[in-house]
Formats: sequence, structure tokens, C-alpha cells
Amino acid sequence: MKSRFFEKVKPFLYLAPFIVGVTIFTLYPIVNVVKMSLMENYKYLTGDFTGYGFGNFKTVIEDQYFRQAMGNTLKYVAVVIPISTCLAVVIATLLNSIKKFQALLQTAYFLPMVTSVTAVGLAWRFMFNYKQGVINYVLSLFGVPAIDWLGATASNFSALCVYGIWAILPFTIILLVSGLQNIDPMYYTAAKVDGAKPLRIFFRITIPLLAPTIFLVLTVNCISCFKVYNELFPLFAGPGIAYNLFTVVYYIYYEFRVLTPAKYGLAAAAALMLFGVIFVVNMLKSFVEKKLSN
Amino acid sequence: MRVRLENITKQFNKDTKAVNNFSAVIESGELVTLLGPSGCGKSTMLNMLSGILIPTEGKIYFDDDDVTEMPSDQRGIGLVFQNYALYPHMTVLENICFPLEIKKVPKAERIARATEMAKLVHVDMLLDRKPGQLSGGQQQRVAIARALVKQPRLLLLDEPLSNLDARLRIEMREEIRRIQQETKVTAIFVTHDQEEAMSISDHIILMKDGFLQQFDEPQVLYDSPANCFTADFLGNPPINKMEGVVRNGEVYVTDANLPSGVKIDLPEGKEVYLSFRAESAEYNPEASLKGTVIMTSVMGKEKITSIKLGNMEVRAYMDAKLTLKSGQEIGIGFKDTGVFVFDRETGERYL
Repeated sequence: MKSRFFEKVKPFLYLAPFIVGVTIFTLYPIVNVVKMSLMENYKYLTGDFTGYGFGNFKTVIEDQYFRQAMGNTLKYVAVVIPISTCLAVVIATLLNSIKKFQALLQTAYFLPMVTSVTAVGLAWRFMFNYKQGVINYVLSLFGVPAIDWLGATASNFSALCVYGIWAILPFTIILLVSGLQNIDPMYYTAAKVDGAKPLRIFFRITIPLLAPTIFLVLTVNCISCFKVYNELFPLFAGPGIAYNLFTVVYYIYYEFRVLTPAKYGLAAAAALMLFGVIFVVNMLKSFVEKKLSN
Repeated sequence: MRVRLENITKQFNKDTKAVNNFSAVIESGELVTLLGPSGCGKSTMLNMLSGILIPTEGKIYFDDDDVTEMPSDQRGIGLVFQNYALYPHMTVLENICFPLEIKKVPKAERIARATEMAKLVHVDMLLDRKPGQLSGGQQQRVAIARALVKQPRLLLLDEPLSNLDARLRIEMREEIRRIQQETKVTAIFVTHDQEEAMSISDHIILMKDGFLQQFDEPQVLYDSPANCFTADFLGNPPINKMEGVVRNGEVYVTDANLPSGVKIDLPEGKEVYLSFRAESAEYNPEASLKGTVIMTSVMGKEKITSIKLGNMEVRAYMDAKLTLKSGQEIGIGFKDTGVFVFDRETGERYL
């Protein structure tokens, strides 16, 4: 009898470490964020609050910094996702068709992923430098006047996007190359025997067969782009000039870390709203994906 | 269209020749099978016909055009793949239309031609489906329609039936025969299944290790094999092959330590194989070759009998009226046809 009881409990014992970990580090914080977002005038140190309500959400929505942050974040996603995805599809297709030096190239395009974001970000900071930067030097060869990439509000968003695209490419390319390698070469043979040219093969066969991987890449990259934040520090050591590069995650950080006294309720409300936006965007993407596959 | 192959050799690296000095002429409107065990070079031969591979030596002619180095898409061929290679994201109609789309045929015309082709192969009620929603046999029909829609001069089929189950395979091979005869397209069919080849072809090209073994009508291949390999490869049940040696102008079966009664004009002591088809043996109490019945199974008017001959086992059809018991000793005589004597070294046929 005892052993049968033990047999029933055993699977849960195996799962226990994982469940405990998830409960402490994932479930509890989520529940707590929702709770905090609803507590008005919440003081973290004393635990005092005046009551539950949607006041935090109202304050956040009316905050001009939050609006700016949401605008910047949406703009960032709208620029980085299409450009990085298109670039990655082209690069992945080319890489997949190169037979020589593949090992060398694989290391080369994997590099941004294994290097520290901060270290490489600092390198980009030098490259973006107004006076000595290599980017302005290269542009000057084509007669383009020097751009103050990091120091001017007109151009620092572009610098952020360039860096963001570069940072997101390797992971995207790896996923796409593995997707390409899963396409049976017989489809290409069949199309070639019928006389299809490379461009037609690319658009009529490669892209449709790669679509599931492209959608996966879009999902993963969308989430990571909505959470743009890390990229701000090595380039600007903060949200740009006069806070012009506020992003939603930076806003969250700002509310409970930079401000004193920290406004935990507002940060939690902002975090939930970002979650809401990402959720809606992903639902839209799933809807489009379903429509296309039928 | 007539296909002429002249001294084709395909060498992949220094030591291996996948196809070796291969010559054959395939007449217009015929269905010819490239038959052979795996690794015999039949797929390599097909890939050279389709233009996927270029021969190391030799020439390929389609009628009078030298197509040896011509790109696939200019040869006017239709190719049916073993795994069908239907584009999974396109409907049946789009799949059949695709070769015409590449040729920039106007949309209305290509739909009309594709629909007509779909009717020919009996998939016209499935035009809106995706390949994933079709059975294996239906996918194969679509693949054939796609290969035929651009009206190729030559239809190439690369083991098209090997992914189907046994019943569908028989149905589809009859369908391929019907479609080929209706369209009168010259077709080359690759298979390793001798039964398939026998039932479908006008002519069979039998290959082994890159060499052409025999090129004949199926019945001729069966009745009159050029060598020991051809005899072994064709026929079900497989031909009975016994080791023998020539003594006094007669094949002496060394496996059974008995004379066979088969007369042959060869030097004394020559080592040979004595091969006979199951239907070529007969019950003959006077025969010098004797064996012990192991078991019999009735198959209608005949029964197939396993007989122990010395240390080996042979199978023969016997009249169903005979009563044969296990353990009974019987004499085995031979009919006039289906008995062959081959050289044990070279496989060359003497009788």
C-alpha cells in the first residue's frame, strides 16, 4: 500500500523543484505586479496604500513621459522588425547557398550573440562618434556630411535602430538557416527541371516554405523589441538627450528606481500595459498567420 | 520521341563508375523500365536523361538533338519524383499550373490545360485541396499531371511507386500504363521491383554495377536471360540455382551428388550453374535427379513443392493431382524451356 501511494506521489516529487522555482520566481511576481498596479498611493517601505482602483493606470496614461515612451517603443518595433527580418531572410538564404567557408561565416554571424551587449555597445559608441567614428568616415567617402549620431535628438533614434537591428540579426539568421535546411531540396530540383529562375524559386517556393520559421522569428523578435532597454545604456548611458529616447521598459525602471520616492504602483501599471500591447500584437500576428496558411 | 544513348559513362570519383559504357535506343511512344538492384546506376542514368547530372563520357540524343549538356528546362522533359515533390503550400491546381506559370502561359490557358490534365489522371475533383490532404496514390496522380501538363517529349519516373502500399502500387502501375498509352508520351520508368517492371513495360533495360545486362521485352528477358544475373533477378518464385560440373557431356549436380540429365556440349570438369524455373521442373520417376519432398502448398491447379536436393532446397510447381507426402523421394525431370546452364565464373549462358 505504501509503495503504491509513493508511486502516485513520485512524479510530483520529480516536478517539485521546478514548480517551487516557477512559483517563487515567476508566478508570485506576476500576481504581485497585478496587485501592486491596483493599489493606490502604495508606499513600498511601509506597505501603506489608500485602496484598490485603476488610478495608477489613469496616471500612467496621462503621463506625457509614458506616451512618449510608448510612441518610441512602437516606432522602434515598426522600424527594427521589418528591416531586420528582411535582412535576415536574405542573408540566411545567401549563407545557405554558400558551400565554402561556411564554418567561418557561421562563426562570424554568430559573433554578436556571444559577445557582451555592453562591450559591443561601447564599440558601437566609438563607431557612432561624431568626430572620430568610422561610420561618419565611411559616409564622408560618399560625400555625406557628418551626423551627430548620439548627441542630437534628430539622429539618435536612428543610431539606436541601427544598433538594435545589428544585435537582433544573428539569432534571427540562425533560426532562418535552420528553417531553410529543413526544406527538402527535391522542391528546388522539381522547380529547376521546369525552368524556374532563382527569383521565382525564392518567392514562390523558399519564402512560403520558410513562412512558419519567419512567423516564429517575428514573434520572438517582437517581444524582445518591445522590451528595448538594454541597448540604451552602452550607447547613451540613459534615455538619450533630454529623455527623448524614453522606452516603455525604461519608463518602468525610471518609475521605481530613478524617482524618489519610488512609484511602484505606476511601474506595475506600465508593465501590465506593455504586456497588453505585446499580447494584442501577437494575437494579430497569429490571426494573420492563420489567414495566410489557409 | 526517340532517345539514343551512346557509350554513356558517369564517373563520380577515380574508382567508381556509376554507369559504364552504356548504349541503348528507346523507341518513340514506348514505356521502358530501367531495372536493377540498388546501386546499379539506374537513378544516375535517369538523372543524366533529366539533365540533373552530366555524363563524363558519351552522348544523349533526343531524336536528332544532342542534349548531353543541355540544361534540364530546355530538354522538354517531365519528371515524377519518388516522394512526389508536390509543393505543400500550393493547391492541386496551383501545383499542376506551376510549370506553365514558369513558361508564362496566360492564366486562363494554364487553368484550362491543368484542369484537362487533372481529368486525365482522375484528380479533377480535388483541385482545391492541398497535397497534405491527399492520399499517397492521389499525390502520385497529381505529380504525374504536373509532369505531363507542359506536354514533355519524354516522361521520366523515378521509382514512383515505392512509397505506396501494395494494393495502391498495383492500381497505380496500371494507371501509369493507361496514362502513358493515352498520351503516347515516351516514358522511362526506374524501379528495382522486377514484377512492376514486367507488368508495365514495353521493354526492360536491366542494369547491374553500371553495366547494361540485357535490353529486351519482358517475356524475352524471362524466357531467354542473357546471363546468370538476369535469370536470378527476374521471376517469382526466384529461379532455382544449383552448382554443377560437366561430366561426360552432362551437368552433374554437385549439390546433390547426382547427374541432372541435362545434356551440354562443354569441356569435361567445367564448373557451371544449372538454373531452372519452378514451372520448368516436372515429376518424373525415371529421372536421375532425385530429391526429398519437404512440404507442398496448393495454389489452384498446381502446387508449389519444396524439395530437398542434397544440401539445398529447390521449389517446383507440380500437378495438383499428384499426391506428394513430406519425406517422399521423387525424381525431378525438366521441360524444354526455362532450364539454363551458366558459367560459374563469368555468368555467361551456355544453354
